[in-house]
Amino acid sequence: MLAILLVTYFVIKNEPTPEYTPERHYVEGKENEILSKFLLAKDSTVIELGAGHFTISQSLSLEGLNHVIIKGKGIDQTVLNFKGQSRGAEGIRVSNCTSITIQDLTVENAKGDNIKVMDTDGITIKNVESSWTGEVSEKNGAYAFYPVLCKNVVIDGCRSIGSSDAGIYVGQSINVTISNNLAFYNVAGIESENSKNVKIFGNKAYENAGGILVFDLPGLTQYGSNIEVYNNEVYDNNTKNFASKGAIVGQVPSGTGSLVLGTEDVYIHDNVFTNNKTSSIAIASYILIYEMGKRNKKSDETTSNTGKRVVGNVRMIDSKFDQDKNYNPYPRQIRIGKNAYSNSHIFPTINNDFGKILLLKKPIRTIDVLWDGIEAPEAPYTICFEKENKDISFYALDVINDFKNPTTDVSKYFCN
Amino acid sequence: MCRNIFAISIIGFLLITGCKKKEEYQAQQNSNSQSISGLLTSNDTLLSYEDLGLKKLSDYGFFNQPLNKLIPANNQVVPYELNSPLFTDYASKKRFIWLPEGSQLSYVKDESVFNFPNGAVIIKNFYYKNEELKTEEDIIIETRLLIKDEKTKQWKTLPYIWNEEQTEAYLYILGKDIDLIIERNDADNKQIAFKYSVPNINMCKNCHVKDQTIVPLGPTPRQLNMKHVFQDSIVKNQLAYLKDNKMLKDLDNLDAVHKFPNYLDPNSGSLNERARAYLDVNCAHCHQDGGSAKTSGLHLVYSETDQYKLGINKPPVAAGKGSGNLSYDIVEGKPNESILLFRMKHLEPDIVMPEIGKNLVHTEGVKLIDAWIASLGN
Repeated sequence: MLAILLVTYFVIKNEPTPEYTPERHYVEGKENEILSKFLLAKDSTVIELGAGHFTISQSLSLEGLNHVIIKGKGIDQTVLNFKGQSRGAEGIRVSNCTSITIQDLTVENAKGDNIKVMDTDGITIKNVESSWTGEVSEKNGAYAFYPVLCKNVVIDGCRSIGSSDAGIYVGQSINVTISNNLAFYNVAGIESENSKNVKIFGNKAYENAGGILVFDLPGLTQYGSNIEVYNNEVYDNNTKNFASKGAIVGQVPSGTGSLVLGTEDVYIHDNVFTNNKTSSIAIASYILIYEMGKRNKKSDETTSNTGKRVVGNVRMIDSKFDQDKNYNPYPRQIRIGKNAYSNSHIFPTINNDFGKILLLKKPIRTIDVLWDGIEAPEAPYTICFEKENKDISFYALDVINDFKNPTTDVSKYFCN
Repeated sequence: MCRNIFAISIIGFLLITGCKKKEEYQAQQNSNSQSISGLLTSNDTLLSYEDLGLKKLSDYGFFNQPLNKLIPANNQVVPYELNSPLFTDYASKKRFIWLPEGSQLSYVKDESVFNFPNGAVIIKNFYYKNEELKTEEDIIIETRLLIKDEKTKQWKTLPYIWNEEQTEAYLYILGKDIDLIIERNDADNKQIAFKYSVPNINMCKNCHVKDQTIVPLGPTPRQLNMKHVFQDSIVKNQLAYLKDNKMLKDLDNLDAVHKFPNYLDPNSGSLNERARAYLDVNCAHCHQDGGSAKTSGLHLVYSETDQYKLGINKPPVAAGKGSGNLSYDIVEGKPNESILLFRMKHLEPDIVMPEIGKNLVHTEGVKLIDAWIASLGN
């Protein structure tokens, strides 16, 4: 009886709701001075920001400039706080620029995204903290670092805290380095989405709902390939998923170390995965996400006036993905090298669908590598394991056959 | 445990909503005490930005004194209106084009902005009428200039804010909040207190940048294709006026120019045409190929025919809270399930659309788009 109670306790125990409360002494009245520096910047300007914790009510933007450096006096010294901002949803917004550097400062509490960079060739962000303070909440902004449609992106030595979507999020970009950062208390710690030539190394991703994600989504300008995730420490990513319902990361099960969705040519090696409750590494096709969305929300299906079926709640899940001819929903050439896996959690969590399935199918041990089992047609291979993985706990759900023939035999998928 | 959390969250909720009500009440009281604060006074520090533009609006010599009557100083300054204007918190607008002597606009396409000669200036004055403000005279808030630079041949944006005395407007790049109380001449005649936001100089680019260059948005042939009362009560089609005064070339057949619908005038087009016109002028400057919202995949130009790009059954890409927990930009026949309408009805910075320069819901626009979405799929 006691055993059953214990099991029940571990299984239904809620994930933690972390809180980030750094010491702050906010000053007002410096906004116009700081804003002027951004508005008057020209090519090759160095925008120097002094020490102080400044409250700012509007986005600070750079547009169409070359070789500009935005520089504070240090993460704890120069803080730009956008709490309660009334104009624009971003903190710092950079667009149509080349060679921009942001360094040695903190951006916090923007309504939308803290640092958004669009259409920029050459963006380096180093020694910057981007955070939402207080208890994590779906009211927090979406992305802490958000370069999108950029080339030559470096995010190094930064900290991302409390994002209600992804902390370090690089979308539709080419040549990306995400290195030596800390990402914690976010829904997703680090996410590469539809990006090419991406190196993610030396980071610590912990106490997020998901640690490091590699996603490929349909309907966008480009698709992801050639991504290497190595030498990262990914641990305790068991924070509840506090994404707003509209976001696709809302689908990421809490307790996920790393999740690969779609994408071609991803190599995951030499990482240390510790205490991620659902699975250290999960690999899924977009088809799975789509099917799970449908499965969850059958009762909400509605019919529009045209008679077309509309699945009322499949949030941001694109039912037209099969009409995007350039999009391939399957993960392809996902290579798993040697990683360290350990887990003190005895039971998978049931706070997400994966956990529930795993608890039913494989209750005694948490999973190192979980795969939906959907093979990519026409790819050299879908996933493969280097030989060092022979003793890992592997589980391939047979999703398309309603989980009838799952496999745990990793040797079937050794790399050639 | 669970019950405790539940109780705490209920208490938290009550506290939050309690606070909110109080704040709103205070805001209302404050703004009642003074109807227009935020226009420039002697307390404002006014800097010169010589490399940007002239310090005062009067320095350009566009208008006779008194400046706030906005009477053109000579025939190089031509007033114009648009069939369907952008909604800017119910501000009225007086627009002018200034052309260097002897130069001309040239026609490109009905839907494309005229090709402007170098040195041309587009002048847009934002004001509220005296009957809306309950003041003696109309109050001009700001004047935005778009100048096509002689040297660089590129457009630049310059925001000028008027002083309280209404005698001058000064180049003011920081943006400013102006407290206003207006009474709309509509069914309920309710007073609305709000902050009008003059954009800072960089915000202009949010809307005016296409393919990484600053472009004008309003003055297209189809938008100018309407009658206007010119000086001395001359009523004339604006395109004809420009042509007759040798300020417009490359347009031979005026009758063939498309007349853009006026979204507020049911006689000017079908529900679909007027709704599409509304979306074009209020959204498409960003929501098009090369616009700043291109990553959204939602394209709202008048000529768009792809239903998916128009948002029908299209999920959002990175809308965050802007999605309002709804699944699609537009669900045919279901305005209340459509993100597009949700964002038009909300004013929070991370939800509101258009995302800058809007602090009031455009009731008439919401009605129009609501009716249009309801009509889709029938």
